[in-house]
Amino acid sequence: MVYEFRYLAPRTAAELAAVLDGHKEDGKLLAGGTDLIPGIRNGVMKPKVVIDLKKYSGADRLSYGADGLSIGPAVTINDILRCKEARERYPVLCDCAHELASHQIRNRATVAGNVVNASPCSDMAPALLCLGAKATIRSATGERVVPFSQFFAGVKKTVLAPGEFVSCIMVPAEAAGARGRYLKLKRIAGHDLGIVGVLMTRRDGELRFAVSSAAPTPVLVDSVTEKDSADEAVRKVLAAVSPISDVRGTKEYREHMIGVYARRLFTEVE
Amino acid sequence: MRIKLTVNGLIYERDCIEHKTLLRFLREDLGLMGTKEGCGMGECGACTVIMNGRAVNSCMVLAVEADGASIRTIEGEAEGPSLSDIQRAFERNHAVQCGFCTAGMVMSVKELLAEHPKPSADQVKEAIEGNFCRCTGYTQIVEAVLDLTGSPEKKGELEHV
Repeated sequence: MVYEFRYLAPRTAAELAAVLDGHKEDGKLLAGGTDLIPGIRNGVMKPKVVIDLKKYSGADRLSYGADGLSIGPAVTINDILRCKEARERYPVLCDCAHELASHQIRNRATVAGNVVNASPCSDMAPALLCLGAKATIRSATGERVVPFSQFFAGVKKTVLAPGEFVSCIMVPAEAAGARGRYLKLKRIAGHDLGIVGVLMTRRDGELRFAVSSAAPTPVLVDSVTEKDSADEAVRKVLAAVSPISDVRGTKEYREHMIGVYARRLFTEVE
Repeated sequence: MRIKLTVNGLIYERDCIEHKTLLRFLREDLGLMGTKEGCGMGECGACTVIMNGRAVNSCMVLAVEADGASIRTIEGEAEGPSLSDIQRAFERNHAVQCGFCTAGMVMSVKELLAEHPKPSADQVKEAIEGNFCRCTGYTQIVEAVLDLTGSPEKKGELEHV
């Protein structure tokens, strides 16, 4: 890369918060780097300082406890897929993780990076939305907890303020055992960004849909109930999305396929 | 920044500019030209190396991030004139045509076999989904892996695409 930047790798979370605080305007956090490094190469992102969060102790912590599954900011997509607790208790989290990019990218890309990027086509966002996950957001001045239903603010925008970073993602214990499936429409069988993606989860009679690549942000739909007909379920999901036409597909195709997937999930996921 | 890393069992300590990718560091600073640059954006997998046991796109890793890491590249496969088992299987099954993707393919397969010594055809396909080959059509590559591991899915049973 011809573009030059400084590289910093803080060794503690507190140090990371302080370094980030000192580079609110010109700094960019580096997690897996699978978006940042191509972004710098393409000239889309021009940070003067790249701050690596993987080197602080605890950044890659992935553990299951009484509160649920705790995912540190350096935990990769394949760490989730290799985690026995995640596979057994949160199969839809793994379903979404498995759809994300290629094996090599899953070895580097992080769960936190995937949501902080706030791409409408995020594959992890649908799972975190349906499972009621929350982000712990840390800065030099403190911490706050934001549910993912309030995390995304627009295309590539989140509620994170300059100087803040996601220090933990918590998937709650009460969401364990949620059944469901993620259907992602792609142009090829291998790794690709989604044309649309629809996840449905069912737990204790409660239904949730989340849709990717269908609006400025990933969308959660929690208004569908067991009593709805399939037509009503599809209508509620479609009412919540506003897809656009782009290189991967037209608005009409997206709407049609979201309907097809929502109906399939509603009738097939038990 | 001063970095120290292990590549194919040898320890290297070098000064490295901070904005250099691991791929360029391997090729330009260490002279290991076996790892190729295809797209440079994580799409094609030609630059795949194994970093701390995991196959990664070296075009999307900064060399400074690899400080302290253990790296395996295609140069670590053959011992002198003697090819590795994976390389011999590729040769036997005509899994190499122009060869540009091969270094990355072999690294992805190496990681797969470390975790799954007897992979199914689907597991092989998934392991190399991030490695583009524009010559062989993938079938011979999957066959090479199944041949090496003695998988019950025999040659000729794979769907040619």
